[in-house]
Amino acid sequence: MSNKLLEVKNLKKTFGGLKAVDIENLSFNKNELTSVIGPNGAGKTTFFDLVSRFQQQDIGEIYFKDKKITKSQPYKVSRLGLIRTFQLTKVFDRMTVLENLMFSGSSIKNDSFFQSIISTSSSKKYEKGLKDKAFEIMKDLNIEKMSESYARELSGGQKKLLELGRSLMKNPELLMLDEPLAGVNPKLAEDLLEKIKNLSDQGITILMVEHNIEAVMKISERVVVLAEGQVIAEGSPQDVRNNNKVIEAYLGTADE
Amino acid sequence: MKISSKWITTILLTFLSIALVFVLNPDGQLRILANLLTFAGIYALAAIGLNVHFGLTGLLNFGHASFMGVGAYVTLLLIPHAAGREGEINENGLPFLAALAIGIVAAALFGLLLGLPAMRLRGDYLAIVTIAAAEIFRLLIRDLESITGGVYGIINFSDALQKYRPVFFDEAVARLDLAPAQIWVGLLSWLTVFIVLLLLKRLSASPWGRALRAVREDEDAVRALGKNAVWLKLQSFMLGAGIAGIAGVFLAFNYGSVQTTIFVPLLTFYVWAIMILGGVGSLTGPIFGSIIFWAIISETDKIASLIFENADGQQLAGVRFMLVGLLIMMLMIFRPSGLLGKKEELLLNVK
Ligand SMILES: Nc1ncnc2c1ncn2[C@@H]1O[C@H](COP(=O)(O)OP(=O)(O)OP(=O)(O)O)[C@@H](O)[C@H]1O
Ligand SMILES: [Mg+2]
Repeated sequence: MSNKLLEVKNLKKTFGGLKAVDIENLSFNKNELTSVIGPNGAGKTTFFDLVSRFQQQDIGEIYFKDKKITKSQPYKVSRLGLIRTFQLTKVFDRMTVLENLMFSGSSIKNDSFFQSIISTSSSKKYEKGLKDKAFEIMKDLNIEKMSESYARELSGGQKKLLELGRSLMKNPELLMLDEPLAGVNPKLAEDLLEKIKNLSDQGITILMVEHNIEAVMKISERVVVLAEGQVIAEGSPQDVRNNNKVIEAYLGTADE
Repeated sequence: MKISSKWITTILLTFLSIALVFVLNPDGQLRILANLLTFAGIYALAAIGLNVHFGLTGLLNFGHASFMGVGAYVTLLLIPHAAGREGEINENGLPFLAALAIGIVAAALFGLLLGLPAMRLRGDYLAIVTIAAAEIFRLLIRDLESITGGVYGIINFSDALQKYRPVFFDEAVARLDLAPAQIWVGLLSWLTVFIVLLLLKRLSASPWGRALRAVREDEDAVRALGKNAVWLKLQSFMLGAGIAGIAGVFLAFNYGSVQTTIFVPLLTFYVWAIMILGGVGSLTGPIFGSIIFWAIISETDKIASLIFENADGQQLAGVRFMLVGLLIMMLMIFRPSGLLGKKEELLLNVK
């Protein structure tokens, strides 16, 4: 068994003439917290889309848990334990926060048509379990007061929290967060960062795209820098911070 | 239970529309009422099926008439009937309920057939596929004359259902000077409406219903959470199609004969109007939407006579369209979420 949870080889995606992703070899280890950074349009979200199968690559291979998922469907890789969030939050607007979470955690069997018609006592018990778990997560993320609100009524930051909570309902092995801190106020962002760190400590492998450099440097064990679709640097936060290419392409030379 | 203002308005409007029938008709009021309520029950059932598609799951289905048609034709061809120009008699057949069950399954499978290619694509493709398929279905039925009776249709099938009419029922209806055959169809339609609603109430509150609403809200998020959105949509599509199939069967029995001209796009349009009137996503909305719709439709000629001296068929059809249009316009102005729709669910989020 290798220590690699996710690996991509020779992964390329172009839009028209534009090379959005062009990665020769990149892998992510179990239990590591990795951040992917890079300028706007660097291909970070496209990379997420390819790995989670929401987009089809031009060429290349993707392995998750040593399984080739190159041609897999999004829901199938999700069932393997790869859960991603979206940069533009995708919550179920006209469902309550609680329903958002319970739907996420619900098993295929529990969701089935016939199970739903007969509605046995064991399925009621299962639903109760989901509800308890959902409340635990809501408390943890400080949104339990909103449990009965429609998700569309949440603020942008709260939606980010809901989406994170919804992912956690699935007990992910690999959690891919696309800008989890965007639009979250500084105080909450700090809490959220703490929370992400805790999840990592609990053994969830985390891959995070984030523009908040301070946050990234603080919690990441490893940083990957993308620019124009290519990996221009990777390594510990310190290494990356001092890398000239990175400073030039992304961090800027100014003494910010 | 707190009775909200939308319920008061709805019930009031329903009574008003029925009162309109009594005011505009000096005689035969009961007969007209029975006729319109029978149609209302059948169309309510069809609209409930459409609401599973659109209200619950966000699927754009513009070929509802074809699901009704598949249910009707398959069922009628399986019971004793006569078909075609010569009225070729087919005395052997299944009992009504067995044929109905097969008709429902056939309508559901027709839904599956249309859905399989379309569900993988964006929402508007389903709309296009269903419009086209409904017309193809109708033309096929017309041209396969040796099986379906073509333009001559199917007749003499009513007995399969009417023979179950109890004697006391006939006596009671006769005392009211009404036609027992139609009341029987109406009664069974409304009974079916309530059974289907009970089933859907359970389903839409269940994990399955929750999954469909999630699909309606955001398919990508559903996929990202490990759920097979395509399969969920197909299930919803089959369920709604099956319900439409039952409505088609009752519609045929109400007419007493069936021709392809029944299952035209106008039928789909009427069912949409009823669903929107009742409130998209509201379980009971189609009941009231349908009664009000049919009360107004059935008074078309009376209303037309206020405009034209001696309205001919074409003018009547025109006035009917105007009335439906007016109804929907008023609705969009005064109550965009329909009579019983939830304001929070107004946003027409289409898959
Ligand atoms: N569906 C698409 N069609 C055409 N071009 C696209 C599409 N999606 C992304 N691109 C292009 O691919 C490039 C990479 O986009 P991507 O969204 O992956 O960047 P990003 O690194 O996530 O940027 P940001 O930090 O702004 O979110 C951009 O130049 C973008 O314009
Ligand atoms: Mg991005």
